[in-house]
Amino acid sequence: MSDKPSFVYVIYIAATAEQVFQALTDADISERYWVGNRLQSNWKVGSPFALKLKRQDGDITGTVLEVDPPRRLAYTFHSHHDGLEREGPSRVTFDIEPQKDQVRLTITHDEFPPGSRVLEHISRGWPLVLSSLKSLLESGRVLRAPWYEEADAA
Amino acid sequence: MSESSKSSFVYVTYIRTTPQKLWDALTKPEFTRQFWVATWQDCEWKVGSPWRLMAPDGRVADAGKVLEIDPPRRLVLSWRNEFKPELREEGFSRMTYLLEPEGDMVKLTVMHEIDRLKAKFIEAVSGGWPLILASLKSLLETGQSLEATRQWPKDK
Repeated sequence: MSDKPSFVYVIYIAATAEQVFQALTDADISERYWVGNRLQSNWKVGSPFALKLKRQDGDITGTVLEVDPPRRLAYTFHSHHDGLEREGPSRVTFDIEPQKDQVRLTITHDEFPPGSRVLEHISRGWPLVLSSLKSLLESGRVLRAPWYEEADAA
Repeated sequence: MSESSKSSFVYVTYIRTTPQKLWDALTKPEFTRQFWVATWQDCEWKVGSPWRLMAPDGRVADAGKVLEIDPPRRLVLSWRNEFKPELREEGFSRMTYLLEPEGDMVKLTVMHEIDRLKAKFIEAVSGGWPLILASLKSLLETGQSLEATRQWPKDK
C-alpha cells in the first residue's frame, strides 16, 4: 500500500485500441455510456477538459495532460458538485494495451489529498462507467444504474 | 486481527443479467469452462462442502471449503492455491462473491482477503480476477467469452 491514495481499475474489452480510445474521447459516445454525462475537449495537450454532468450542477473540469492515440490519455479532474470544489484537481490516466482479440484498459486516478471525498465518489463511479463502456463496445448497449440516477435527482 | 496485517483485493463490475444467471455462471462447469481458463469447480455447494478448482488436465489448482452460501446472493469460500509452493505456504484466503440486483443489471463484488501483510497470493489473484470477470461479463452479455480465457495457460 502506498501512502498516497489512488484508485486503479483494470478492465478487458473485446475491441480494438482505436475503438476504446475513441470512446474515451468522443462526446456523443461518452454521453451514451457515461450515464448521460458528456465529455467536452478538443484533446490537445494544455486544452481545457470538461465532463458536463447531466443531473448535477457544476461540471467536472480540468486540463488535458497527455494524448497519445490509441495508447494513452491523461487529464486533470476537478469536481465542483456537492462542495467538492475545494479539494482541487486530481489526475486521471488511461492506458490502453492491445492484446490479440482484446484490449487491457487501465485507469489510474491519483493525486488526491488525504481523506479525499472525491476518491470515494470516483471509486463508486468508475467501475460502473467502465462496465457500461465495455457493454457498449461489445454488445451495442449501455448499462442503466438506478442508484446513480436516483441519487442525482435529489 | 488489525487491518494492517491483512492483504485484500476488491473488484466491482456491473453485468446486464439476473442474479440467478450470474450465480449459475459462477458455479456451473458448463459456464466456468468458457470464461475461467477451462476450469471447473468440484463442489456440492453446501456450507462445509469441500471446494476444488480443477484444471483441465485434472490437477487441483486451488482448494478450500464453502464457508457461507446464500444463492443467488452471497458465497464465501476458504481458498488456497495448491500448485505453487510460495502461494500455498501463505495458507487459506477468504473469497466472497456478492451479487446485488440493480435495475436490469447485477452489481458483482469479488473480495479476496488473507490475514497476512503483502501476500503474494493476493498479488496473484489481483492480476487474475479482472480478466476472468471481464470474460464472465462478455459471456453473459454477448454469449461469447474473451478468447484469452477459454484455455488453461500453456505455461502453468
